[in-house]
Amino acid sequence: MKAFNWRQLLLDLRLFWILLLLMALLSVASDRFLTIDNLTNVLWSVCLIGIMCTGAIYAPITGGIDLSVATIAALAGIIANLLMNVCDLNWLLAIAITLGIGVLIGWVNGIVTTKFNVPAFIVTMAAKTYLFGIAMLVSNGDQITIMQPKAFLAIGIDKYLGIPIPIYLMALLVVFSHLLLKHTVFGRQCIAVGANEVAAKLSGVNPDRTRIIAYIISAVTASIAGIVMASLTQQAYAMNATGYEFDVITAIVIGGTSLMGGNGSVAGALIGAVMVGFINNGLNLLDMPSSYHPIATGIVILVALIMNQGVSLPGFIKRLRRPDRAPGQTASQ
Amino acid sequence: MSDKIKSTDSTLLLECRGIDKSYNGPMVLSNVDFSLKRGEIHALVGENGAGKSTLIKIVTGITNRNAGTMVFEGHSIPLEHNKNAAERLGIAVIYQELSLIHGMSVAQNIFLTKEPLFAGLPVIDIKKMNAMAQQMIDRYGFNLKATDIIDQLPIAQRQTVEILKALSNKASLMIMDEPTSSLTATESVQLFKIIRLLKSEGITVVYISHRMEEVFDLSDRVTVLRDGKLVSVLEKDEISPAEIIRLMIGRALTEDESHHRMVRKEGEVVIEVNNLCSQGKLKDVSFKVHKGEVLGFGGLVGSGRTELMRAIYGIDAFDSGSITYLGKPYVPSVEKSIAGGYGFVPEERRLQGIMGAISITGNIGIANLDSISSRAGFVSGTKERERAQQAIALLNVRPPNPDVLVGNLSGGNQQKVVVGKWLIRDLKLLIVDEPTVGVDIGAKEEMYQTIEHLSKQGVAVIVVSSDLPELTRLADRIIVLRKGRIIKEFIDGTVTEEEVLRAASGIIEGSAQ
Repeated sequence: MKAFNWRQLLLDLRLFWILLLLMALLSVASDRFLTIDNLTNVLWSVCLIGIMCTGAIYAPITGGIDLSVATIAALAGIIANLLMNVCDLNWLLAIAITLGIGVLIGWVNGIVTTKFNVPAFIVTMAAKTYLFGIAMLVSNGDQITIMQPKAFLAIGIDKYLGIPIPIYLMALLVVFSHLLLKHTVFGRQCIAVGANEVAAKLSGVNPDRTRIIAYIISAVTASIAGIVMASLTQQAYAMNATGYEFDVITAIVIGGTSLMGGNGSVAGALIGAVMVGFINNGLNLLDMPSSYHPIATGIVILVALIMNQGVSLPGFIKRLRRPDRAPGQTASQ
Repeated sequence: MSDKIKSTDSTLLLECRGIDKSYNGPMVLSNVDFSLKRGEIHALVGENGAGKSTLIKIVTGITNRNAGTMVFEGHSIPLEHNKNAAERLGIAVIYQELSLIHGMSVAQNIFLTKEPLFAGLPVIDIKKMNAMAQQMIDRYGFNLKATDIIDQLPIAQRQTVEILKALSNKASLMIMDEPTSSLTATESVQLFKIIRLLKSEGITVVYISHRMEEVFDLSDRVTVLRDGKLVSVLEKDEISPAEIIRLMIGRALTEDESHHRMVRKEGEVVIEVNNLCSQGKLKDVSFKVHKGEVLGFGGLVGSGRTELMRAIYGIDAFDSGSITYLGKPYVPSVEKSIAGGYGFVPEERRLQGIMGAISITGNIGIANLDSISSRAGFVSGTKERERAQQAIALLNVRPPNPDVLVGNLSGGNQQKVVVGKWLIRDLKLLIVDEPTVGVDIGAKEEMYQTIEHLSKQGVAVIVVSSDLPELTRLADRIIVLRKGRIIKEFIDGTVTEEEVLRAASGIIEGSAQ
């Protein structure tokens, strides 16, 4: 048996320690921070990002990126509302069709990326643009209020044992995605394709198929997030979730996933999302003016990433001050 | 026998004494002396892990030594040496992985960051830069134009540009790490000419190579390292390949490598290829491989060897012809080939073979997902680890730790991982393309023994190699390709390296051509 390596464990959980440190700082700064109500609130607010992360993470793991997730979410809300309240379909059937459309969107992203060799960055950027157009078209550009069905609205609003349903949903998806990545053939194939596509192919992996499935998963979880969002806000609007794709990528990167592909951590991405949530929450509790929020978020993200690289502050200063002089100069002293 | 160097010798360009180095733990170099005379070609040899790269990194300032003195052209170099300082002193490295910028011209690369400026303005004087570059090229008689774009040059010429770049930096010491590893025989000969030219200009060249014949031909002196210690410094008249190998591995090679007798093995046919054609790559290629036979493929780089292997493994489609595998007609695809008992070790280990950022376990597991997962698609971590440990034990991978990232292993051990992932399968046909490029002598020998062992077990093996001693050592039969055609087949008896080389270059008496 392998000896248990405490040092390695400390390193592996580095991100978790950073999160605890942040929580400790916030609880000292505000006595309203460490309450069940507040913590539940934070989790609730990071739910959408968290749900999107569980699927969107597969794009960077395979060496790509998905910038279309936020727009897919907005579109999913509009379509679900259209199916339930205009076409009068049963809410479960409406959700199923919405997810089906998500599969289609992801499939198109995947096909264009793999079969036509267009960089994922461009493909999903284009998808973001045309999907926004479709969302505007279908919704007439209106901010639609969703009044019914009640069962649909319950997804976002109801609580079980005092905890909102979306938190359960997020937890479920995190566990599911973690198992998929770490314990299935598909997960291994994603990591291999991201690490070295040619080597993976020569070992029997089909890189195109793997990538296409990755984009489908990404689009489906984005659709789920869109349904939750529509239900939670009782609203369907093409501008909803604008900019969320960057929060998603930030959370994934803070979580230790490389944008170059070949590794990834679903738990890390969740911690990343929660961290961003705590920062915003803390700033609210401290009554900071809202213009300071993005500044603080940006700084904390950079610090977290630097710490996550395993660089300590003294080491960093030493790095900056490393001398660069010709040996001849010192020799003549 | 090594202590011939007197201190403060004015003929010495570089003198290192008592160099110690460890990266947080075991000593990588201990008490190593290394000195270079002005204008000599000095070979640095040793197995992978002997400390050659670390010594070079210390000289070039990429890493710092822990102890020891270093004097370069009379300047003592402090412990905190660095790369820029080394460059300013005139120490240049011709990198194994070339460090040129691809979209730029030869002149732009040579003068990168020191471009001649237009009348003192911060604008590059392109005309002058091209003229200066062309002048350098002509002075050395290289076959290059200053305006050639790097992408369009073959590897050998790119290397020449690297050398020019170093010359423009007024380098007095050039370090070449495995410079011939991706060159053809003719290109290598060309490089040797250049190296001798550099020597005649008074430039010292440190030459690192696993190819003993090159070391033997070129070097004025040889420094041999083993396990981080200096073993010996050989003078010109003491150099012989056998002696170097003995010093490197600390014992003489037992096997007689030069006169392998080919044996005809005609059992059951494993794979039969008939009239395979592929536009511009292969013309009418037909051959059979039998159970337990090692079939060698010789030929120059670009003769269609690699293309043929890719076609029968199922990576690239072919235009016409047929394949029979284990007695049944077979249309190859990678997935089917693997399921059917093929193994494939590609030509370029780093680009096609390994996943460097992933552990040994992950690299082995990816080709064995079928045997370590349930039908529902769940991977068993325990089984995966067992399989990895099995491969590690089978091929003696060092370190024997399945969690180590493959990118951190030496070349030889990386190759063992690439081969190992197939050996734990029910293997019937193993295709290896250039199996020992960049692999040290010890690991090379182990690779040969592995292939011989497999053939004894009845596995059919196809070996593609530009290394002629390797081909003649391993193969029971050798087919030589030239321009996509089979030009010669050596069936039994003995074959010499010269015969294979003559066939590959198209100099054949009484052949079908």
